Amino acid sequence: MDINSILHIIAENTLRTGLPLPAPRDIAYHWAKPLNLPRSGSMFLYTGVMYQLMPYIKSFVAILERFEDSRLAKALRLAASPKLTGLARAAIKPERDEIELAESILTSIARLLARAGINYAYLYEDDMYTGVILYDMGLEEAFQEHAARVYERLRRRGAKKLITVDPHTTYMLRHVYPKYVDGFDIEVVNYLELLDEALAGRAQPAPRLWSGERVVVHDPCLYARALKLVKQPRRLLEHAGLTVLEPRRSGRMTYCCGGPIEALSPRLAGRIASTRLRELREKAPVIVTMCPICFVSFSRVAKNETIVDISIILSKTLRQDEEA
Amino acid sequence: MASLREAALLEAQRCLYCGFCEAVCPTLLYGAHRGYGPRGRVSIALQLLAGKAPVSEEALASIYSCLMCRACTTKCPVSVNVAEIVRIIRILHNRGELLAKSPVRIAVRG
Ligand code: SF4
Ligand code: SF4
Repeated sequence: MDINSILHIIAENTLRTGLPLPAPRDIAYHWAKPLNLPRSGSMFLYTGVMYQLMPYIKSFVAILERFEDSRLAKALRLAASPKLTGLARAAIKPERDEIELAESILTSIARLLARAGINYAYLYEDDMYTGVILYDMGLEEAFQEHAARVYERLRRRGAKKLITVDPHTTYMLRHVYPKYVDGFDIEVVNYLELLDEALAGRAQPAPRLWSGERVVVHDPCLYARALKLVKQPRRLLEHAGLTVLEPRRSGRMTYCCGGPIEALSPRLAGRIASTRLRELREKAPVIVTMCPICFVSFSRVAKNETIVDISIILSKTLRQDEEA
Repeated sequence: MASLREAALLEAQRCLYCGFCEAVCPTLLYGAHRGYGPRGRVSIALQLLAGKAPVSEEALASIYSCLMCRACTTKCPVSVNVAEIVRIIRILHNRGELLAKSPVRIAVRG
């Protein structure tokens, strides 16, 4: 499909609804409803809606993949934009179990933070998508407009510090927003950094409830190359009792999952994901990811590998710990 | 403050065309031609910025297929920020400020 049409759908949707793809607005905070997290404070959990969007991205990419280079793609190119967005809305059908998985990842993160003794509030309807795809794809004016809206919501909620949960949102808020949004002065800390600090400050060693099971870690490009977040996840996994194995290319030299161009070329993205997955699989069948984009990208091509988000594997420890 | 165009130009002109970056670029492995690698992207960016000829579909594919993963910069002797050059070219393209009319389509080898 023509890239300009896809970008058009994304920009139009983000400005109209706050989300890059047609999805119910409450997907941002639906996961938090049973948890009763406090609504006010100065340090807020900010998911940036990236995990919640995973099932929608996956469905959208599956449609694009089916239509890459097809007659329908040509027709779509000619269609006017409202029609295009309408088509996308009708066609995107996320899987129920994938929505549940995304929600369980966020629930795990919330529980891990609470368990580490970190007090925070949640933004609920003000937990917004940062506009990362608009920024990356060079939709500069749309991004600026969207970012200003996001900041306005955060300012109104009195946010002084945000806890982020994925590399893209962390990077955007820490390094991009201060350049684009006048007066942006919110401190940004990633939950893995927070958990790691809390671990270091523990009087007693953390309970080891895994017994040396082998996992291989995949560093997301932004954590490894832009945010210097490499040691923290490894320490957390090792403290939980797992044996952490390194793929051939890891840390700063990590290899991209292919995800960033999934919407533009599902085929090229898939090839890159398969290459990386093979490399990871050489070390262990259990692959730990720390980014929703990596997770979707690998799940699309996985056969007999287990792809697991770091929060799930860390909170599995937590659950056993609580039962014990 | 330098315009986006100047910023991209200055950054791209720092490239030595040594090609050290090519070995680590994930898209070069499967892309249809050298334009799917960092060195090719820098050279296409310079051509687009010079604006002498209308830009081909292939040139745009080179720009839009970049993952912005920054693996190239880790291997570059002068740390050229290829991802940022690419992002600026995308901005100029979206604003219609490049001599580029063709639709963008990414070709995969094999
Ligand atoms: S940032 Fe772009 S050019 Fe550089 S290695 Fe990644 S895909 Fe290749
Ligand atoms: S390694 Fe740097 S200087 Fe050499 S070709 Fe690549 S971008 Fe240019």
